Amino acid sequence: MDLDFTPEDDALRAEMRAWLEANVPSEPRPAEVVAAGQYDRDWQRRLHDGGWAGINWPKDYGGRGLSAVQQMIWFEEAARANAPAMNSMLIALMHGGPTLIARGSEAQKAFHLPRILSGEAVWCQGFSEPGAGSDLAAIKTRGRVEGDELVVDGQKMWTSFGHWADYQELLVRTAPDSKRQQGLTWVICDMKLPGIDIKPVLSMSGEHHVNMVFYDNVRIPLANVVGGVGEGWSVAMSTLAFERGTAFLADQVELAHKIERTIALARKTRLENGRLAIEDDGIAQRLARLKADTMAIRAMTILGFSRIERANQPGPEGSMLKLFVTTTYKALSELAAEISGWGFFEYGDNRHSNRMTYDFMWSWVLTIAAGSSEIQREIIADRVLGLPRAR
Amino acid sequence: MPERMADVDLLPGAEEEEIARAAADYLAGELPVTRCHRPDAELLSAEKRAEIAGLGWFGLSLPEAQGGVGLSAVDDIMLFIEAGRFLAPLGLLTSALAARVAAEAGDEDLRSVTLSGGAQVALGLAAPQDEGLLRLFDWKGASLVLLLGADRASLHGFDAAAVTPVDCLDKTISMGTIGADALTLRAEGGGLAALTGTLNAAAMLVGMAEAVLAMIVDYAKIRETFGRPIGAYQAVRHPCADMAVRCEAARAQLYAAAVSLRDGKADAAAQIAAAKLLANQAAVRNADWNIQLHGGIAVTAEHDAHLYMKRANLLARLFGAERTLLHGLLDAKLAA
Repeated sequence: MDLDFTPEDDALRAEMRAWLEANVPSEPRPAEVVAAGQYDRDWQRRLHDGGWAGINWPKDYGGRGLSAVQQMIWFEEAARANAPAMNSMLIALMHGGPTLIARGSEAQKAFHLPRILSGEAVWCQGFSEPGAGSDLAAIKTRGRVEGDELVVDGQKMWTSFGHWADYQELLVRTAPDSKRQQGLTWVICDMKLPGIDIKPVLSMSGEHHVNMVFYDNVRIPLANVVGGVGEGWSVAMSTLAFERGTAFLADQVELAHKIERTIALARKTRLENGRLAIEDDGIAQRLARLKADTMAIRAMTILGFSRIERANQPGPEGSMLKLFVTTTYKALSELAAEISGWGFFEYGDNRHSNRMTYDFMWSWVLTIAAGSSEIQREIIADRVLGLPRAR
Repeated sequence: MPERMADVDLLPGAEEEEIARAAADYLAGELPVTRCHRPDAELLSAEKRAEIAGLGWFGLSLPEAQGGVGLSAVDDIMLFIEAGRFLAPLGLLTSALAARVAAEAGDEDLRSVTLSGGAQVALGLAAPQDEGLLRLFDWKGASLVLLLGADRASLHGFDAAAVTPVDCLDKTISMGTIGADALTLRAEGGGLAALTGTLNAAAMLVGMAEAVLAMIVDYAKIRETFGRPIGAYQAVRHPCADMAVRCEAARAQLYAAAVSLRDGKADAAAQIAAAKLLANQAAVRNADWNIQLHGGIAVTAEHDAHLYMKRANLLARLFGAERTLLHGLLDAKLAA
């Protein structure tokens, strides 16, 4: 057991800190969607020019090739410097790009990877459907091979940033009567193709962030299929091999700052009884407990890296971390809302009007997206505890 | 993909794992949990104590120059996780802490007596509601009382006849009260004993949290209702999953705390406080769910479930009370 960083890692941290201090934009991300998308691209471009694009990507593909621990250092420094989040660049950088690296053709890699790293291309995800969320293998969107094209009909749901993305990682059913994980195909879909209709889904936070995407006779070149027709499930799962326990690293690190901000808020906010929130025993105790939880999250994160380094593949423990991180985030958001009193209700239907209230609502995204808490508990029961199957 | 092995690593190494394995082997053979159902459960015989001393457990993390084994806080927790799993006597921990206090005080006789298992050591606690009295734990057969303060730990002689016995909820622990003036100071040390005590109590609680999780998982696989094992019902599976998460979080933070103490980090006290808080929650909540998910069988005296519930609630209040730990944590500055 060891928690000391190597001199090399300490030097890297210093380099990151200096670069971030000089490069983090002083202006906040705009509220308006198109301007926000441009802001994300500009930041990605700046990361690229500074040599910090694709920190988790191998150097051979233009990435920085950082270890899991070094990635944690990056996100710690980024949070410290209040650097922009990946936002609309996230799917390309953390999902689409890594999938191409694992399973894409040389032509696909040569075309797409540099565009992702430079911020030129925005990607979105096309996995979930109205009837297939947690149960991804239930997808129904059809793809049929016609000559050198894949013709797609159906509907996807929850497509974040679909309205300004250039490409989509699209999962379709290509074998008509196939069951579950069989007969699926993973394909790169150009979002400008005819037959694609995007309808906004306004979220409870008031923001337009996710979309429904409809496909009517959308003709995608077969050359865009990744890993072969019918190999979609294994391609979708191949990002797992790339995943080093770092998928939620930014959220995990951000929590450590969020608790300190909430403690600071409690030190200056007065309750209905006129006392400072921090002087309220109940509030002070909940804050301290949540601080202990955020400390444990850092330890669990490092423990997770350590396991993956030894086993060379991610284990089911990742589900325990996801469940703990999202539950802690939610509890902290609720407590912050309670401390801030009427301020909680001062909200103008976008995150810039009141970040705290926005985060309160965002907490349900965390506990539902990427495998809901209930799905995580099922995974833990099956794969960590070996309990008899429920299904 | 990472291009080199991480140097930051929180998994136990082979030697650390070996300490846990050897401890579990000994405890399963010599101090099995079944002993806790016997009427004299609180007594650890002088022979057993000497045997355990022979294994080096009382001086595991004490420097060799002070007669210890010369291992570290990390090795300590590997031992005490297993001690908790088997509901080992509190004396295992108090003896180790007493040896540390004696060593810090430079009292070689007392150090050698405590290291060799020659004395049972009771834990003393000043409780505000006890008005001038000290509350003692594990005092039957003891010849020394250990008091732990944030900056100062002390060892005292006492007269067993001056103790007023009080029945304890946890029948494996003898409880009593004694006038503070009935103690005679034998040795004084610094704050490290209290920190070590909190860390190792957290370790024992983690072991208990894991033991009750294993207990309910085993049962959920074989106990059937409505024609299916109860472990196939989500109403049982999901609380079990939450129990596993509590164990994982508590164990991870325990490791981080042990490393920070071993390496002399500035935030060691905060890391240890967090470890104890998470371990308290894990042990108390898991012991609760273990009973609930077992159903009626677990409220019977012959079942082990209540032993863990009682010990967890006791240990959660000893070696650092929640309120004190929480208070210190709020202001604590963490190392990067």
